[in-house]
Amino acid sequence: MADDKFTAIIVGAGPAGSTAAMTLAREGCDVLLIEKGPTPGAKNMFGGRMYCHVLNRLIPEFWEQAPVERAVVSENITFLNEGRSASLSCRNEDWAKPPFHSFTLLRAEFDAWLAEKAEEAGAMLACNICVDDLLYDNGKVAGIRAGEDEMFADVVIAADGANSILAQKAGLAELFSASQVATGAKMVVELPPDTIDQRFQLSGNQGAAMLFVGDCTNGMQGGGFLYTNKSTVSLGLVINTACLQRSDRKMPDLVEDFRNGPHIAPLLEGGEVVEYSAHLVPEAGIRMTPQLFGDGILIAGDAAGLVLNLGFIVRGMDFAAASGEAAAMAVLEAKRSGDFSRSGLSIYRKLLEESFVLRDLEFYSKVPQFMENRRLYEKYPGLVTLVMSDLFTVDGRQPQRVLKKGLAAMKKSGVSLGGLAADCWKGAFSL
Amino acid sequence: MLRIVTCFKWVIDDADIRVDAESRKLNLARAGYKISSYDRNVIEEGVRIQEQHGGTLAAVTVAPPTAKPCLKDALSRGPDAAWFINDPSFADLDAHQTSEILAQTVRSQIEFDLIICGEGSGDLYSQQVGPALAEKLGIPCITWVNKLTFDEEQKQIIAHRKLEEGMEIVSCPLPALVVVLPDINSPRIPTLKQVLGAAKKPVHDVNMKTLGKVPEAHLRTDKILAAVMDRRRIRVAGDAEGIRSVVNSLIREGVIS
Amino acid sequence: MAGIWVFADNRNQVLELLSAGRSIADGLISHLAAFAADRQQAGEYIDCGADKVFLLPELPQDQPFESLVPVLADAARDENPDVILIGASSRGKEIGARLAAALNSGLCSGCIGFELDSAAKTLKMDRLIFGGAGVQTVVCTQSPQIATVPPKTFEPALPEQGRKGDIHELKAPPPSPVRVLDRVPRQRDSVDITEAKIVVCVGRGLEKKEDLDLVRSLAEALGAEIGCSRPVAEELQWLPEEVYLGISGKKVKPSLYVGVGVSGQVQHITGIRDSKVIMAINRDENAPIFDAADYGIVGDLYQVIPRLIEELKEALRA
Repeated sequence: MADDKFTAIIVGAGPAGSTAAMTLAREGCDVLLIEKGPTPGAKNMFGGRMYCHVLNRLIPEFWEQAPVERAVVSENITFLNEGRSASLSCRNEDWAKPPFHSFTLLRAEFDAWLAEKAEEAGAMLACNICVDDLLYDNGKVAGIRAGEDEMFADVVIAADGANSILAQKAGLAELFSASQVATGAKMVVELPPDTIDQRFQLSGNQGAAMLFVGDCTNGMQGGGFLYTNKSTVSLGLVINTACLQRSDRKMPDLVEDFRNGPHIAPLLEGGEVVEYSAHLVPEAGIRMTPQLFGDGILIAGDAAGLVLNLGFIVRGMDFAAASGEAAAMAVLEAKRSGDFSRSGLSIYRKLLEESFVLRDLEFYSKVPQFMENRRLYEKYPGLVTLVMSDLFTVDGRQPQRVLKKGLAAMKKSGVSLGGLAADCWKGAFSL
Repeated sequence: MLRIVTCFKWVIDDADIRVDAESRKLNLARAGYKISSYDRNVIEEGVRIQEQHGGTLAAVTVAPPTAKPCLKDALSRGPDAAWFINDPSFADLDAHQTSEILAQTVRSQIEFDLIICGEGSGDLYSQQVGPALAEKLGIPCITWVNKLTFDEEQKQIIAHRKLEEGMEIVSCPLPALVVVLPDINSPRIPTLKQVLGAAKKPVHDVNMKTLGKVPEAHLRTDKILAAVMDRRRIRVAGDAEGIRSVVNSLIREGVIS
Repeated sequence: MAGIWVFADNRNQVLELLSAGRSIADGLISHLAAFAADRQQAGEYIDCGADKVFLLPELPQDQPFESLVPVLADAARDENPDVILIGASSRGKEIGARLAAALNSGLCSGCIGFELDSAAKTLKMDRLIFGGAGVQTVVCTQSPQIATVPPKTFEPALPEQGRKGDIHELKAPPPSPVRVLDRVPRQRDSVDITEAKIVVCVGRGLEKKEDLDLVRSLAEALGAEIGCSRPVAEELQWLPEEVYLGISGKKVKPSLYVGVGVSGQVQHITGIRDSKVIMAINRDENAPIFDAADYGIVGDLYQVIPRLIEELKEALRA
């Protein structure tokens, strides 16, 4: 068996890798799924929450068997500036009813379950194995080398995450620059489920998702997040790595300050931190995606930079799963035609373009640049919170028209009307 | 033909243990599991001897059914087959129960010449199961071995025992049980091929139907608390000022003079 | 009441167990018995509190000490002691485990302390688990209640003139199939680190073996002995095993412990937890040792140690 060739060797048993493995195994292909961590998910991390649409299709009603946490009904984006905050909230009860909109989840459990589904479909899973290199045959990728063992396959799918060594080794990608990625760090805080229900106004298995802009990142490009799990809350920050490197603040301190700040502290009062984790997040959208395929190789998931960050929506897992599925379909097509070369696998790109994966990244291609605008983090949180708190202030002074209040607040925040107008214009056409 | 049996335990990874300093409770809820590190040396020694002298190598464990992942792990390290003696009630056994269950299973189902056990388990570290198992099986026991050789001609083992007063080198005919120390060998990391091969090796599932009644515990645990260290935790920078303040405190406390 | 027994393969531990055993014997109103190698030792044990001493038979040269187990088991079956305390030397641990199995009883291994419940006539015994992170309190549900006790857990019993006791000879055991081919005594280091008043302990933070000289100058300035964490002795072999401190190494109780480049894994801390003052030097401010220390210096040991030596010389000159 060990000397047989696999149809596909998939490196990385995260959402992209496991989905690719499961899809191929279901079609009867010999698939090897290799994971460097002791268990799938052990080395993975996200905010976070997964939008259900892709997995619903692949594993109908997956929530009945998968270890998901809460179904998110309440979305919130909050601007933070000093002692003030202003929020946009939205709640939709339908989101917490089948087929469910999104679930918060814990990656160690969820990824392990998804990899198990791949195994159940017939994929072979090997954990604790680090893939050191790709093997070539006549310039075409023909397999992998892990330690002293060489395994061969028609195709290698590199689903090895945000810092894909294999994509680089295959010459398809370059090392991401610090400005193209963000550093995400989070803490998981334990709280009794009832307490979570009360503090976030949830019932049953409902969940809340919150995003924060402003003080939490000290004005740096990025934001904070909070997701409610069943009996824990995930709280963290995502900050553009280049910005972070230029600053003298350290991530752990920033997360700690965020947790202890007046906006978060009451929500997590009495909770004990049970876990810290950090990870790189691809941020640059379509411009940073490497070549997605080559002779005998496909790249999927975070390794391919397939993450969409719109500020108020962050999507990684659905992209990963969809790209894993597309990779599998491309392999099946290549198998049918007997052509695993670059041209034989080119259907991968086509499938991604036809699906939301590349379609959405294309559509939002201007967003990463828009997100680099420092005013979003340095000025606008101050402006929004000033305007809002002013709106609600009653102190007996001379009243002003709302417009005038707005202009005064802008002056106070150092925002020019022109700049604001330009930013709104850009935002309207990128988001 | 030399029939080697290695015993291993699936234990909590103590790096994952969390402590609530106030209540002194140990929180094991989010802890992962692994093969006890001492037992990795056990399996490696079994593999080493099999490589040199041939024969069969089995890995045996007593565990609750949730410990199933341990089998692939153990088999990927070299044994030919595994014995999974399991029951939901096996989560918190004491050394007497474990050694009794092992003894019953070995007597009724596993043929052996040499049993290898670890110096203690990574969780409870009772350091009893090896010698107790030998006593119950009525075979000789050699403990704290850091070098083991098998004399094929004489059908005996030569073992170097590491004791406080020095080394004691002993011989013993088979069948026998040996308790090995971690410095006996360096366990190899399973390769990809070994990990894949593990899935194909046979696993003997032994449950209570075969064993009958679970032996009673001979040790009752009244409580488990976190070990606390009540220290002052005064921290200073490594500059001249900080160091001076520490030195002065040490002199004040009378620990240096 | 059928006796509180103490057994160890070395005289020092027997004396320690005699004092522990005496408190149990008094609490349960029972007699205290010990095992001695010869009549002279028996006399000493009686002076130190034993009411009864069993004389161990002399063993043939090629028999290991543990071959005594059947004799001990027979004696226990005859006399039905309530408690057996065994010194937890390497041999003691094997003997304790085999004896507990032979007598179908329970054994608390590594007992670091106990509480006697006179009413229930049981010992509540404490032992460390999870590498030293936890303390488990157990009670033996069978008789005899057996425990192995690490060295220096109790103070040695002191002799008193005029004590009396009985001596009984035990018969020789059947020959054990385990035969001793050779004994290689350990080279005794002139220093016993467990007796040191000040200990400087080296961890993996030290970059190379040659840097031990730096640590030695610190030890000199303090008048300290040098110890290490397990990896430095076992894996790197920069220092002999006799000086590694930890749950499976030596346990020390100095007035001052100074950890240099020691991260502070719980297994190591277990070996030093009884130090009067713990000081740590480490450049990683998140190193666990800082939670276990009284004084922590966060800095590069290569810079801190020379400064520390300077400060010590200054301060101690004054």
